[in-house]
Amino acid sequence: MKIITLLKRVPDTEARILINQEGTGIREDGLKYVINPYDEYAIEEGLKVREKVGGDSKVTVVTMGPEEATELIRTALAMGADDAVHIVDPLLENAGPFTSAAVLAKVIEEEGFDIIFCGKQAIDDDMAQVQTILAEMLDIPQVNVATEFELSDDGKKAVLSRRIEGGDEKYETALPAIISCEKGLNEPRYASLPGIMKAKKKEIRKKTLADLGFETKPQGGRAEIVRWLPLPKSGECKIVEAEELQDAVKELVRLLREESKVL
Amino acid sequence: MSIEGTAILVIFVAVLTAFTLIVRHLYRVMMKGKPEDRFSRWPDRVKSVLVFVFGQARVLAQPAGIGHFIIFWGFIFITLGTLENILSMIIPAFSYSRFIGADAAGIIVLLQDVFGILVIGDIIVSLVRRFFFKPLRLESDDPKTTEEAVFILALIFVLILLMYGMRGTGILLEPNRYSRLYAPFSFYASNIISHWNINMHLANRIFTWCHHLIIFFFLLYIPFSKHIHILGAIPNVFFRNLGPMGTLSRMDFEDEDAEKFGVSKLTDFTWKQILDLYACTECGRCQAACPAYLTEKPLSPYRMIHHLRGELMSERKMILADGETPDIVPDTVTEDEIWSCTTCGACMQECPPFIEHVQKIVDMRRYLVLTESRFPQEMQPVFRNMEVNYNPWAFGYASRADWLDGLDVPLASDKKRFDVLYWVGCVGSFDSRGQKIARAMIELLKKSGVDFAVLGVEERCCGETARRMGNEYLAQMLIEGNIDTLKKYQFNRILTTCPHGLNTFKVEYPQFGYEKPVVHHTQFLLELVREGRLKVKGELGHDWTYHDSCYLGRYNSIMDEPREVLALVHGRDGKEFERNRKRSFCCGAGGGRMWMEENTGTKISEARLREFVEIGSDHLYTACPFCMTMFEDAAKVMDREDIEVEDIAEALVKVT
Ligand SMILES: Cc1cc2nc3c(=O)[nH]c(=O)nc-3n(C[C@H](O)[C@H](O)[C@H](O)COP(=O)(O)OP(=O)(O)OC[C@H]3O[C@@H](n4cnc5c(N)ncnc54)[C@H](O)[C@@H]3O)c2cc1C
Ligand code: SF4
Ligand code: SF4
Repeated sequence: MKIITLLKRVPDTEARILINQEGTGIREDGLKYVINPYDEYAIEEGLKVREKVGGDSKVTVVTMGPEEATELIRTALAMGADDAVHIVDPLLENAGPFTSAAVLAKVIEEEGFDIIFCGKQAIDDDMAQVQTILAEMLDIPQVNVATEFELSDDGKKAVLSRRIEGGDEKYETALPAIISCEKGLNEPRYASLPGIMKAKKKEIRKKTLADLGFETKPQGGRAEIVRWLPLPKSGECKIVEAEELQDAVKELVRLLREESKVL
Repeated sequence: MSIEGTAILVIFVAVLTAFTLIVRHLYRVMMKGKPEDRFSRWPDRVKSVLVFVFGQARVLAQPAGIGHFIIFWGFIFITLGTLENILSMIIPAFSYSRFIGADAAGIIVLLQDVFGILVIGDIIVSLVRRFFFKPLRLESDDPKTTEEAVFILALIFVLILLMYGMRGTGILLEPNRYSRLYAPFSFYASNIISHWNINMHLANRIFTWCHHLIIFFFLLYIPFSKHIHILGAIPNVFFRNLGPMGTLSRMDFEDEDAEKFGVSKLTDFTWKQILDLYACTECGRCQAACPAYLTEKPLSPYRMIHHLRGELMSERKMILADGETPDIVPDTVTEDEIWSCTTCGACMQECPPFIEHVQKIVDMRRYLVLTESRFPQEMQPVFRNMEVNYNPWAFGYASRADWLDGLDVPLASDKKRFDVLYWVGCVGSFDSRGQKIARAMIELLKKSGVDFAVLGVEERCCGETARRMGNEYLAQMLIEGNIDTLKKYQFNRILTTCPHGLNTFKVEYPQFGYEKPVVHHTQFLLELVREGRLKVKGELGHDWTYHDSCYLGRYNSIMDEPREVLALVHGRDGKEFERNRKRSFCCGAGGGRMWMEENTGTKISEARLREFVEIGSDHLYTACPFCMTMFEDAAKVMDREDIEVEDIAEALVKVT
């Protein structure tokens, strides 16, 4: 069985995000990057399926991202994935979901697949688009935000759950399909040291757009990011202090009238 | 040679040969362990043996140790007597007095005579203690332990009676054999025996033979009983760790094809760690000091060593044949045991033959974490956070210096050269309580005009916790990262408020090629006061109690300085915990336990805080941010938020 798991490099959940001056993206200096946390569930689920099916099953990690993503791909390989495809191309910087999906679809078709696991969303820009566009492009079923996954014994179908408000939705889907993973699906494993050592020798196939037969960056998304803006500054809190309550009230009224001009 | 002489000679030689073969066998089993260098500092090693084996210094640290002292020396003198007797059976006129003179030989006789009585008294006391007082340290889950102990005591008891029988009848047969002066109790025995209506000669031979046969039996039985420590303890004291306590070995990750890291089989231990197993006396002192054991956790260091030895003894043939032996993790030592340890070192502090428990536990943790990736679930985010953000919590690394906002603290990256590097540590940087301590420190440093700097966001977790949690790979990443940063600046000393950081910089960073003097803030503050750079203006005048952190007191012998500072602050001496200084009781946070759930038994921190409540003192002081966190949490859970826990720096800042 050929299992594809998608991995995106995203800024660490605890990182302090600042928008760059031009408003075209974020400031990358001093940022720490991690595997998109939801993609860790995808990798773990891929590994579990491989362990269950056995035989010559294989988990291939697919990443589109800058050169530095290699380090994170190695982490996935250390967890146990067999090999990886890494699409690196300067043209793909700040690619939108449509572009990402088109590129990923091409790779996935070339690689061949029985099942695709990805995260329910990338925690950087929270688009949650790639998997759906990908499913359309590959013309396969998709189940989003899965919290349970069970492969049938013949490996042709899967039963899934999605946690929804007040209950679970049960799905059955034919394979191949694309499954986007939610927290709770599993506990991603911590790479063992022999795993880390082995990962150093596993194959990462680097590809550019040209390698994939694209002449330019695939386009077609109807939506476009126009500008990035920082959050408006939340108002400052002022505590009015005075010996006498009366004076405090007076000062408060003055502030409301003169400074914030609400009265 | 008489028939009797020939008989004893044959048996004696046979027994000695068998004994030698057994010892050789045990030695070969031991040498199946991994290499370890314990061959430096010979004079200190000899001295250790003199003080701790012949002087029984650690054994005597507890009153019950007097009993062992008596048996130990009794055994030596009585064995000398036995040897003399056996030799005289083989070589008729043999006696020590020929070589060392009648008086010296007489003294040996006297010592035998006196120790015989002492040993008898001792055995009675031991049995009474074991069965009527049931001391905590003799609690065991293996009924064989008690059976064996009683069997051996009974055997020694009989031996001593036989000795007096031998000598009593000897005196009756040959009245000038001993002087009354040198053998008062033997003369007393001969008095009693003289009333018996028996054939004295025959009785004498029977007593003698029974005595010697028991000794021979003993010689062959020892290596397979708990008394194997007679063989193991002396070399174990000789090869003991002479360096700082509990320093962990550095792992080598060069071999990229390695499939296994840490210890999961007996032969993964080093030869010295196997020798440790031969050396255990089963005294249970470690158990009676162990915070995990005393709060109903699954771990007892004594039991762990006992079970490992049991496994070693049953697998020894397989080990010699290089065969496949069962995993000791988790079959002999369970994962729950392994994760219960706080690495407080109380066990090692107590252990008379200097067994090193902590390294073994960490070695097994290393196996679980590095090879198997199996550990309590709550540790995974801790590892992740340390990896990505260089601190155990989910704080972005870039916010490490946020607490400095508005404090005007010099950064190493600006200053480049300075006298003291103040290592703030993870707790000081991120924890709100820890930040209060750090702010007090900054105030004190500024008041006394110290030329200092902090690393700010360049500082990373020191790696101590990861290391003790068994994640040596992560620890080395952190250590190497920090060393790169530290090497960029020129300064004279590292100052820490955290004993864990202190210990790591002092004894573990040198393993990675970085050596720099380190001081703990309690030492440093006292120094500032003494030099007059910090003026104490007045006293708080309260009762105070100081809790020794394991890594400060036990590990680094820093015990007077914090007390001296507090005595200055309050103008009086403190009220001590019953367990204090080197024998202090852990707060429960060490060895990474701070980040693990503590769901079994009593919380260690609460047990300790209850001890504080009993003292009836006003203030509890710590000099470790971990202890602080543990006690503050315990106070909340116990609904005793009125108990104020403060750091030494916070106390001092109030009076300067
Ligand atoms: C600061 C920054 C710099 C970047 N620089 C480059 C660059 O130089 N070159 C470059 O090629 N890309 C780069 N990228 C990545 C690219 O912009 C994203 O892949 C694209 O924006 C799609 O993300 P999304 O948030 O829409 O994904 P979502 O639709 O939210 O993602 C859903 C799921 O789809 C999968 N997925 C999404 N994107 C990828 C991916 N890229 N690879 C594998 N699986 C994926 C994951 O499983 C993810 O959980 C950069 C991203 C950032 C944040
Ligand atoms: S180090 Fe402390 S917790 Fe661990 S076994 Fe020894 S006494 Fe017990
Ligand atoms: S390990 Fe040491 S302290 Fe513990 S029982 Fe054995 S000899 Fe005694």
